[in-house]
Amino acid sequence: MAATRVGPRAREIFTTLEYGPAPESHACALAWLDTQDRLLGHYVNGKWSKPEHRNSVPCQDPITGENLASCLQAQAEDVAAAVEAARTAFESWSRLPGAVRAQHLSRLAKVIQKHQRLLWTLESLVTGRAVREVRDGDVQLAQQLLHYHAVQAYTQEEALAGWEPMGVIGLILPSTFSFLEMMWRICPALAVGCTVVALVPPASPTPLLLAQLAGELGPFPGIVNVISGPASLGPVLASQPGVQKVAFCGALEEGRALRRALAGEGAELGLVLGAEALLLLSDAADVDSAVEGVVDAAWSDRSPGGLRLLVQESVWEEAMRRLQARMERLRSGRGLDGAVDMGARGTAARELAQRYVREAQSQGAQVFQAGDVPLDSPFYPPTLVSDLPPASPCAQAEVPWPVVVASPFRTAKEALALANGTPRGGSASVWSERLGQALELGYGLRAGTVWINSHGLRDPAVPTGGCKESGSSWHGGPDGLYEYLRPSGTPTRLSYLSKDLNYDTFGLAVPSTLPAGPETGPTPAPPYGLFVGGRFQAPGARSSRPIQDAVGNLHGYVAEGGAKDIRGAVEAAHQAASGWAGQSPAARTALLWALAAALERRESALASRLERQGVELKAAKAEVELSVRRLRAWGAQAQAQGQTLQVAGLRGPVLRLREPLGVLAIVCPDERPLLAFVSLLAPALAHGNTVVMVPSGACPLLALEVCQDMATLFPAGLVNVVTGDRDHLTRCLALHQDVQALWYFGSAQGSQFVEWASAGNLKPVWVSRGLPRAWEQEAEGAGPELGLRAARTKALWLPMGD
Amino acid sequence: MSTHNQGTELDLSWISKIQVNHPAVLRRAEQIQARRPVKKEWQAAWLLKAVTFIDLTTLSGDDTSSNIQRLCYKAKYPIREDLLKALNMHDKGITTAAVCVYPARVCDAVKALKAVGCNIPVASVATGFPAGQTHLKTRLEEIRLAVEDGATEIDIVINRTLVLTGQWEGSDFIKTSTGKETVNATFPVAIVMLRAIRDFFWKTGNKIGFKPAGGIRSAKDSLAWLSLVKEELGDEWLKPELFRIGASTLLSDIERQIYHHVTGRYAAYHDLPMS
Repeated sequence: MAATRVGPRAREIFTTLEYGPAPESHACALAWLDTQDRLLGHYVNGKWSKPEHRNSVPCQDPITGENLASCLQAQAEDVAAAVEAARTAFESWSRLPGAVRAQHLSRLAKVIQKHQRLLWTLESLVTGRAVREVRDGDVQLAQQLLHYHAVQAYTQEEALAGWEPMGVIGLILPSTFSFLEMMWRICPALAVGCTVVALVPPASPTPLLLAQLAGELGPFPGIVNVISGPASLGPVLASQPGVQKVAFCGALEEGRALRRALAGEGAELGLVLGAEALLLLSDAADVDSAVEGVVDAAWSDRSPGGLRLLVQESVWEEAMRRLQARMERLRSGRGLDGAVDMGARGTAARELAQRYVREAQSQGAQVFQAGDVPLDSPFYPPTLVSDLPPASPCAQAEVPWPVVVASPFRTAKEALALANGTPRGGSASVWSERLGQALELGYGLRAGTVWINSHGLRDPAVPTGGCKESGSSWHGGPDGLYEYLRPSGTPTRLSYLSKDLNYDTFGLAVPSTLPAGPETGPTPAPPYGLFVGGRFQAPGARSSRPIQDAVGNLHGYVAEGGAKDIRGAVEAAHQAASGWAGQSPAARTALLWALAAALERRESALASRLERQGVELKAAKAEVELSVRRLRAWGAQAQAQGQTLQVAGLRGPVLRLREPLGVLAIVCPDERPLLAFVSLLAPALAHGNTVVMVPSGACPLLALEVCQDMATLFPAGLVNVVTGDRDHLTRCLALHQDVQALWYFGSAQGSQFVEWASAGNLKPVWVSRGLPRAWEQEAEGAGPELGLRAARTKALWLPMGD
Repeated sequence: MSTHNQGTELDLSWISKIQVNHPAVLRRAEQIQARRPVKKEWQAAWLLKAVTFIDLTTLSGDDTSSNIQRLCYKAKYPIREDLLKALNMHDKGITTAAVCVYPARVCDAVKALKAVGCNIPVASVATGFPAGQTHLKTRLEEIRLAVEDGATEIDIVINRTLVLTGQWEGSDFIKTSTGKETVNATFPVAIVMLRAIRDFFWKTGNKIGFKPAGGIRSAKDSLAWLSLVKEELGDEWLKPELFRIGASTLLSDIERQIYHHVTGRYAAYHDLPMS
């Protein structure tokens, strides 16, 4: 018999039945680092770039602290070079037939498949995440993403006709991300024809490896460029000429700062912020399975962040006991060990958790920690926090990984109020075996993703995103594609930054208005006042502004609205919101068609007001007619929203719901006072929003004419129209924390202000950047872009089984 | 078995309140098999432990005293002595947990075990195995006869007609299935059963044992079953009084793995004695 290879410990293990290490060899990761002489630069235009005289940062094993490599830090000129490479690549890549791009993406998937061991060991080695999660989860999903998006590229010409790729996409990723976050974004961008520059944090080799794999595929170097550098380079990347969109994922305050910094820059900004999830556990749940949901959501290496756990009071004791018993069995350790649930995520993550737990304790919370966790840094044990006073700062703050904050609720209604009572709206799961209750909660949650009786499932075909302060950017599914598309023919986005715009004073003061003589407009004049809460009301300021006609004569007076009027209008819109959102699509259609009919009856009055604004009678009549058509067309579209998706590995559907944004504020352009007003109003209403509108400043009288019909047809508060100084009203709306979205069509300065101010509640904004829009044309006046922006997506996962 | 389930008042609300989400349990079953790999010495030690949980079983129509004798010998000496020595485990008295035979073969088994000087229990399936569709009177008589012959453990096929109509029975051990069904021991079913055992323990303080049976053939499977019990119930259930694996061919695969662990080579068929 051959010499034995047996160590002495079997006897002992036989008695204790403990788990042992199951290490994954990371030799190939080290060998790859050796090919770069342990010095990583940037991967730009299909080759490595290692510029001289740059600072370098060590890339360390987060658990042993061993130095693995040095990573060069980019400077502004490196960023510029990468963007230049991406711009050049865009010229050819975007013009290729979709089928060719599809083939290229499929080839990349194959390359990943061939080198997956290198990918998963490298990723686990440098991030400390459990290798099993990277190997069985991330790497597989990365390939699925490429395959899914290859299909999207293949069908692009047909399925996405009327849209074109934006251009160069800047990607800014946080230090606590998996390479998968990059894949979620580059796959759709590449599929539709964009090229990418990714700015990754110092010491993240995996994205560089991916870029190398993509680059070595050959004919299209420069479609994926990865540079590593400090977060301060984010705005530098975003403001490079040619960068059309910046996709940022990371911490809330960083995103907010970036939103402010990029106001007036050319690039559009897509934000995905925070990582907290929510789990609702009702008394009709399979509690043991829900506990596994908690593990998936917070105590595994697939969870991005911490968890807020709401447990129905009647099962509170039971749930806590099971949770604590389950926690005892969790194992932490070196990520490369195949038998651990949680690796370590570096000292920053550990300190964040430590600080949060200490503060929660000082605010009166109970803390329970358990699990088989090495005592030394950088590990942090799974933590369950309960009895946190609802008003304490920790109860409001974002829960960090790996912490679960549990609190009780009494009824489903209360659960919804608690769950929706945070500024965050990322992902959530609902656990209940009662179908009606589960759907009620699933539909009622304000979140981007809701899983019923499961947590954390992902699929390339299902859009993932959020609402409120979690950001309103999407990846995956159709929504992920539109993130990188724009309607064909849209001009390239250029910086329109006005450096001397003072955010503190823009629109602050209302210029005083004086009597300008008697009104001479067509009679009867529309009722005087602001249209708020279904009736005409006198403005708070009790003053009026004169409106001139095309030749400078006084056309009429309109009310001078102010901050208080905006407040009232937003309140009225909120009161009407749940009623309108709850209406059936058919009811919405009926109301929009009724308004269309009313406008038809009012045609002569509207046409003569347009005439006074210098429009020829024939054109005026055509404009009224077109406005009527717009109302009918959007009314008809109210019927067809949302869809059912079928994904691999899941029995049961995923619903892609299109939900109203809530209260949508719309600042209409000065031009086309009727057509633009109606063209913006109709999609907003068709998608279930209630609106606060600031009509054309040049001629608000047409909007007020329409208000007369809305007063009799519409529920009170559904549409509110406030006239007055546009800058002032824009300021009030943009800074309002309870306005869920804002569309602004006006000056460049106003646009810049809106972008800057939207950082407050991170409402999605759509601004014209001072450019005119062809409202009479189908694409710009009634195109699918309006519908996309008028609602938000929610993915509702409904796994089935007996 | 040392302690018996003393039983409790039947409270059907315990059962009616139970919620089981099928897809979620399937997911857990998938995860549990991938999350706890056991390697090297740990694997060897765990496999030897698994041996001590095995109810080494033969339930064939053509069982005779000669193959029962062979089975009993294998139960006493489940792993080749030299392999155990290499692991320094030869003095641990490793045997299987029991042998499991048909009632008519209990006598043979008792005699054969006595002959090899082995005091492990003889378990017998009884009560109209595997369907259980015989009269209560003959079922009880069958048990009585098996016990008279020396069986100390009886695997009773519950009357599923009663179960499906909501009339439950109590026991010291619950078993996934007879091993004679098309689908036998599966992880999702086991998860639900283990959780029921834990809930019963939390409610009454009684520990009920668990026995998966049927289709457990590979050493790797047995490791997954051990970690399943460890994860869902804890180490206190990992003893023969509370955990058994009903199997016939599993043991030889475990022995092959131990052989490989000790020698670094894969065994030929004839390297290991048959059971």
